[in-house]
Amino acid sequence: MVGEFEYLVLTAAVRLGEEAYGAAIRREIEVATERRCSIGALYTTLDRLERKGFVKTWMGDSTPQRGGRAKRMVCVTAKGIRAASSFYLAVMRVSRNVSWETE
Amino acid sequence: MSYEPAINRFLWWLVNRSAEMLESGEREVVRGDLAESGETGGQALRHVVGLVIRRQVSIWSDWRPWLTLAGLVVPLGMLLSVVSRRMAGTSAVYFWMYANNLDPRLFELRGFWYQLADTIAEIFKMYLALGCWSWTSGFVLGSASRGIRVNGLLLCLMLAFGVLLGAPLYVAYFDHHLLLTRFPVLAHQPHQRDPVNALTFYRVMFPLIVQAVLVLLPALWGMREGARAANLRLWLRTVLWTAAIASLVAVVIQNPDLWMFMKLYWRAGTPWHGWQRRLPAALCVLATCVLARNRNHAALARWQGCL
Repeated sequence: MVGEFEYLVLTAAVRLGEEAYGAAIRREIEVATERRCSIGALYTTLDRLERKGFVKTWMGDSTPQRGGRAKRMVCVTAKGIRAASSFYLAVMRVSRNVSWETE
Repeated sequence: MSYEPAINRFLWWLVNRSAEMLESGEREVVRGDLAESGETGGQALRHVVGLVIRRQVSIWSDWRPWLTLAGLVVPLGMLLSVVSRRMAGTSAVYFWMYANNLDPRLFELRGFWYQLADTIAEIFKMYLALGCWSWTSGFVLGSASRGIRVNGLLLCLMLAFGVLLGAPLYVAYFDHHLLLTRFPVLAHQPHQRDPVNALTFYRVMFPLIVQAVLVLLPALWGMREGARAANLRLWLRTVLWTAAIASLVAVVIQNPDLWMFMKLYWRAGTPWHGWQRRLPAALCVLATCVLARNRNHAALARWQGCL
């Protein structure tokens, strides 16, 4: 089972597809959660996910926008997709018949 | 006049310095991310320092950095501090003699110049040996803990502790306790270094200068070379490590102060006694490193020529 932040990273990476890399994933998470996401939290989580075999990362191309520096590209593995899916189903199951609407 | 650009420049300078504690690949990625997201200097610094702390915490949760700290950083820092303190004390007497008590009439004596040449040669050998040992210690530390960049900082802290507190306490304990219990008669005699130690410069500043110039700088240089030595081939690394360990063992064996508890100090007539005999051991690792790197470059050039 993945953790909450790990799930956010996996989901953002899947949503971005071939364009998934550090800064882009961070942007996705910040937009979705409306909270700041630190680079430290992102890269240590990516390392942990890679160790668990949930993602594969490699050094990608550089762009002038990044001052000619390389990107850390991310690809979610089948195992990662299963783990994220399992987390999502667990959240769905536990949320069944629960309403969060404020009265 | 606005100070904001200057502060931002300073913060970015801090960001770049902090990022040096990251692995080179990750450093590039993080700098790229910061450039892309258009963070200010303060935000970028918070991100980088946060990542560095997280990386260090994960490194130090393993047992190996602790082993390096306990097995290399602390003993080497203390060893070099004690040796440096001893050498600073010995050479301070000569500096005090020539700098503070020089009589111009001595210049006319031929024996004075012989003595001066002899003293300069002796101090030079002593300092060269200390510099080489420090370099070797840094080399061993750098090659044993390539990923642990914070070890340079820890070595600096250990050397600062050694020069300010550790070595003076050790030397004082050695001189005033062990020596006097063995030779109580010495308790009633003034110490030969008392006039020198009466001057604050020789007592406080001089050991600090010797430690900074002949221990800290060579050790940090050696650490950098040690980290680079990982690119050498296995057999060259083995030769280097053997030479480095032999050199450090020579320091420990040949420095009688460090063996006082085993009472080897009193065997002053052992064949290894005297700085001139220790110098080759100190130099061997430096020479081996230079040779190894040259051989490696030659092998690389041959290999590139074949392609």
